[in-house]
Amino acid sequence: MEPLSHQEAADGADPELPPALLPRIGDVAHAGMDEESSAWSVFDISGARGLIARIAAGDMPDGWTRALLDAVRVVDIDDNALRALGPIGGRRRMVGAPVTVYWPAESWPVLAELIFAELADIPGAARTRKIVSSVFNDATVNISTDPAHPDLVFVSVGGSVTDKRSLWSLRASEERYRTLIHHLPWALVLVDSTAMLPIFDELRAAGVSDVGAHLDAHPGLPFESRAIVRVTDANRNAVELFGAGCADQLIGPVDYLFAASPDTAKRVITAHFDGRRNLTEIMKLRTFDGRLRDVQLSITYPTPPERLDVTLLMFEDVTERLQTEVQLRQLQEEYARAARIATLGELASSIAHEVNQPLAAIAMNAETSLRWLARDEPNLAKVEQLTKRIADSARHASEIVQRIRGMAGRHAPNRTALDLNRVVEEALMFVCHDIEARGIQLGVKLDIGLPRVLGDRVQLQQVVVNLLVNSLQALAGRPHSQIEITTSRDGFGGARLSVRDNGPGIAAEDLHRVFEGFFTTKQDGMGIGLAVCQSILAAHGGGISAANQAQGGAFFQVTLPPITD
Amino acid sequence: MSRPVVIAIVDDDRAVREALCELLQVEGMAALGFERAAAFLDRAGEFDCVISDVRMPEMDGLELQRRLRACGSAMPLIFVTSLDDETACAHALRAGAIAWFAKPVADAALLGTLRVVLGNTGGGA
Repeated sequence: MEPLSHQEAADGADPELPPALLPRIGDVAHAGMDEESSAWSVFDISGARGLIARIAAGDMPDGWTRALLDAVRVVDIDDNALRALGPIGGRRRMVGAPVTVYWPAESWPVLAELIFAELADIPGAARTRKIVSSVFNDATVNISTDPAHPDLVFVSVGGSVTDKRSLWSLRASEERYRTLIHHLPWALVLVDSTAMLPIFDELRAAGVSDVGAHLDAHPGLPFESRAIVRVTDANRNAVELFGAGCADQLIGPVDYLFAASPDTAKRVITAHFDGRRNLTEIMKLRTFDGRLRDVQLSITYPTPPERLDVTLLMFEDVTERLQTEVQLRQLQEEYARAARIATLGELASSIAHEVNQPLAAIAMNAETSLRWLARDEPNLAKVEQLTKRIADSARHASEIVQRIRGMAGRHAPNRTALDLNRVVEEALMFVCHDIEARGIQLGVKLDIGLPRVLGDRVQLQQVVVNLLVNSLQALAGRPHSQIEITTSRDGFGGARLSVRDNGPGIAAEDLHRVFEGFFTTKQDGMGIGLAVCQSILAAHGGGISAANQAQGGAFFQVTLPPITD
Repeated sequence: MSRPVVIAIVDDDRAVREALCELLQVEGMAALGFERAAAFLDRAGEFDCVISDVRMPEMDGLELQRRLRACGSAMPLIFVTSLDDETACAHALRAGAIAWFAKPVADAALLGTLRVVLGNTGGGA
């Protein structure tokens, strides 16, 4: 097993601990228990005497059990108690700490009542009480005092361990647990966040239900929390991830975990407050040697009967994965752009014609204006009218150029909530001239109740343009040709787009290949139009399918998922 | 009895159609624009000359020419187009078109051609 170096070093003989106190085997009050089947603790109650006296005088404040245990300090614990109760941080961190730091919260009242009864000398009070324990069956907790040490109480927890093997198996199980933790392929950090519980109680008592909003209003709280919530243990991979020399460097307040992601700290606190079991998110992590990494944080919060002082934080370094994803997105955009330029090339003569129309109008109107001005009595009213038309045509030409530039230009993929109908209308501006000039009858049926979709406007325009170009090329030279483009809801909250034509359709043996890159049946086609449609839709979480209609002609259908939060 | 010469302009692009009409009007010629070839053909008898685009929806300029000739009209036809297509140009001229101008057409060239054509038809502006 991987040694827990920071802990084992602290668990040997410690010169600061009073040697005669443990174990108190053979004490009458603990008859039937032995070293193998009980867990021992020694507490210093001197700090709690004032509170005990108040309670004995009849003044029992709300939350007194918690207050009492907060005032009681750990003097020593034995190995069994360490295993059964202690944070994996070890004995060194427990000695001197309040009992509440490690004693399971569900049996705080029992322990506090025992301590109070013992010290207030309540006649006939029980020295033994049953508790729920994840370690012992039928667990009991016992308390005793020693006149030689008036400020100390001796507490043992034991149970019906009739077969010592159960304790051995427990120890073996713990060994396996530690081995597992330390050899997990992820960075694992154990955190004791019990210090947050009284803060949460106070917030709830003050009527706070939305802790996220409260944290926004009180930015100091996450900062305070990060100082009192502590890392109690960390595995090898965590040491490596943080660029630390040893696990000891990771033990202590959690603030360093969230130094580069303060908003994550807020969400971690909020999830804890809300009683959630898990939280997962991608965050930035600053290592001890100053590197910034992208990590996926997965937190498991404890719930009874689990130990409330062990919150598991798992970090997976996803820096390279995210970089690869970014590179893939860039490649996909480059590919899509190359295909857009190829499509513009196929539409070049149509585009040239479209741009030339307003330019021709401008030239003729300018010449006509000059002719009016050259007359003996210039007709200024006519010149004004023609100049307005020149301005309109120039604007029109500029819009066409802008549209083409949008298609041909390089742009970072940008996902926004889009109206697919608008995307179709914009795409039609590229091809409608071609469609009209070829005498193709175009049917457009747009569903006005279409849900918005999340997408890149230019890339989705490209999909529509590609499908229309595909259809109009298939229809070349055919009489009575028709293209119909339709949008509709898909029944799952998403949007659907269909393009159908009455061309020759797709050969049955080619149907499964039409979306392959560089597959084409056209003499001058590159075979990237439909392939790029598929890659764009895959990147959008959507899909595209090709089919032949019963009455003939190809039928392409695109689906885009609904926007999720 | 002679009536004024009227020139038809057939172009699906409104800006171009209006610009051509204005150019003819400044030189005192009467012009009327049509967005579709079919609409012009319905009233073809009212005109002495037609200036037409080639690429147009529903019916293109070459089809307009064919139908005009098919019904026996010898009306002078001038193409003004953005279409860069030598085959179509040669076809149109062989079928009797007077001229094929690329847009943007030089005003003097178009007006000069029209004057020659209209002189030939015997009309006067």
